[in-house]
Amino acid sequence: MSTSALSSTVPTEPTTAPEKTATKSKRPWSVRPRIVDPVRREKVVAGRPAVLCVDDISVSFDGFKALTNLTLILDKGELRCLIGPNGAGKTTLMDVITGKTKPDSGTVFLTHDARDLTQLAEYEIAELGICRKFQRPTVFAGHSVYENLELALQGKKSVWSSLFFRLTPAQKTTIEEILEQIGLHEHAAVRAGQLAHGQKQWLEIGMLLAQNPKVLLVDEPIAGMTHQESERTAELLKSLAGERTVVVVEHDMDFVRSIASKVTVLHQGSVLAEGDIDTVQNDPRVVEVYLGEPRS
Amino acid sequence: MIAEPAVGLKALHSKRGWLGVGVAVLVMGILVPVLSLGVPASSALHLPDYLVALLGKFLCYGIVALAIDLIWGFTGILSLGHGVFFALGGYAMGMYLMLSIGAQGVYKSALPDFMVFLDWHELPWFWRGFNNLSVALCAALVVPGLLAFAFGYFAFRSRIRGVYFSIITQALTYALMLLFFRNETGFGGNNGLTDFKSLYGYDLHRPSTKVALYVLSALGLLLTYLICRYIVTSKAGRVLRAIRDVESRAMFVGFNPTNYKLFAWTLSAVLCGLAGALYVPQVGIINPGEMQPANSIEMAIWVAVGGRATLFGAILGAFLVNGMRSFFTAAMPNAWLYILGSLFIAVTLFFPDGVAGALGRLKRKS
Repeated sequence: MSTSALSSTVPTEPTTAPEKTATKSKRPWSVRPRIVDPVRREKVVAGRPAVLCVDDISVSFDGFKALTNLTLILDKGELRCLIGPNGAGKTTLMDVITGKTKPDSGTVFLTHDARDLTQLAEYEIAELGICRKFQRPTVFAGHSVYENLELALQGKKSVWSSLFFRLTPAQKTTIEEILEQIGLHEHAAVRAGQLAHGQKQWLEIGMLLAQNPKVLLVDEPIAGMTHQESERTAELLKSLAGERTVVVVEHDMDFVRSIASKVTVLHQGSVLAEGDIDTVQNDPRVVEVYLGEPRS
Repeated sequence: MIAEPAVGLKALHSKRGWLGVGVAVLVMGILVPVLSLGVPASSALHLPDYLVALLGKFLCYGIVALAIDLIWGFTGILSLGHGVFFALGGYAMGMYLMLSIGAQGVYKSALPDFMVFLDWHELPWFWRGFNNLSVALCAALVVPGLLAFAFGYFAFRSRIRGVYFSIITQALTYALMLLFFRNETGFGGNNGLTDFKSLYGYDLHRPSTKVALYVLSALGLLLTYLICRYIVTSKAGRVLRAIRDVESRAMFVGFNPTNYKLFAWTLSAVLCGLAGALYVPQVGIINPGEMQPANSIEMAIWVAVGGRATLFGAILGAFLVNGMRSFFTAAMPNAWLYILGSLFIAVTLFFPDGVAGALGRLKRKS
């Protein structure tokens, strides 16, 4: 973690007793309310066309503050890029939204649902329409491409319904369309484990599409991709926004420039700057902590 | 972590797969009874009674192997305690057989002999109703199912996985073995339940009863196979394999792994209970020795030898290992455990996907 060199830019934290909060929040039986206070909710949304709000979230691991009072509001249909140096809390933020990590304090909520997402299990959050693409492509390697999409398809996910499941014609059409969209139509019967790296990434994006999500979280989609593959990925991501809200975590600034309308810079667990790419890139604080030197 | 099944599910469930099932049913379900009952004892083709009983036992082991394949091969959860579910099913059936002895026992009492011996004067409450065959059969399925459900609920909810889960299942079967060893528990202690005379009025020592039990076991195996086959080829089966391969992904796609694991686990235990209930009238005894940890490990070896996640591999493994066991325990009794151990090591090293996998590779080469 490269935090020491940049500590001057952050309000200094009392580093003596954060362990207490860490242990307290890890209790399995949480007594926090399961519903977000409506007054607070309105104050956070403040009339924006928001879809997902992350409100005042703090997370610490064994005393290390991964996120500090972070607030992030995502509007309907936007394509947002999250950038920030290593250890800025990008992945932790994704973990909190998808329920993998439980925060010490703060709430996450969807504007159309009363519940506090930090109180739900991963699969419940997925059912609500928040889907995530991992940094490494994780597809079901032993299943065919088609089966991967079938499993991801939106619908009932209980044991009982799976036992008697039959694809409806409409669902078949959906899968066909997604196969077309991610360019794997000819590989439908191929085992996902045999796909090339880039194809796996697209398949994973396709699986997210099949879930018909409201919010799509995409973690470093072009890591390890060839130039052509990343261009295609940029096209794919751009075509997804509009209907859905897409959040992309990415290091590659050229890639960010090619897709993003709005960029949020995280630094040491908080939002440092937010705005379009040019504004952000010329912000002196961002230049100092992240870019190192101004770009030409 | 778990090798891809070398024999694809598709090959298993093709027309030729069904043909194989048909042939197996013909041979095991019809040829054996005919050779045993329909051919006079003097003929060379006659199948002696002890072989029928032996094959009947193998069929029960086949059911157990399928049950383990469902939870281990397809769901990736290695249970080293399935002997306990098998034994519980056996005990339920044994209790019925014990009560149907009636006053023909050594002590000429309506109570089972061991209770007379312990100076008990009435049936304990948990023995009531077991003079009814349907109650006993229900208990043989429900009791293992309930135990598995309760055990699985806490284990899976706490996200206990891998080797930790396997160790706890060993502890489970060991603990129940100790419990059943006690005379006070009320299941005949050390000696278990034995000296059965009749099942539903039919004399257990008559060849026709033995063949009938054999046919019932064959039907049980066929039924189990069809159930497992339906599950693993349904979407639920694909979800189970998805959970086995990448549990986190399955969760983010919206499946609750706990429920799926619990389903496969409980069903697996129920099937083992069925196998135990079919097994006990054929061997004539059930005692806590069935719950020995080593027994459950051997059950897992059947599946490992046969090949995981192929279904027919599990049945093959159960037949193969038990066939070898019957042969070697007669030919060189002291060597059997060494042979079993070497077999397991050899399979792990050279055929990680078992006999079924090796066959599949041969087929692809030719």
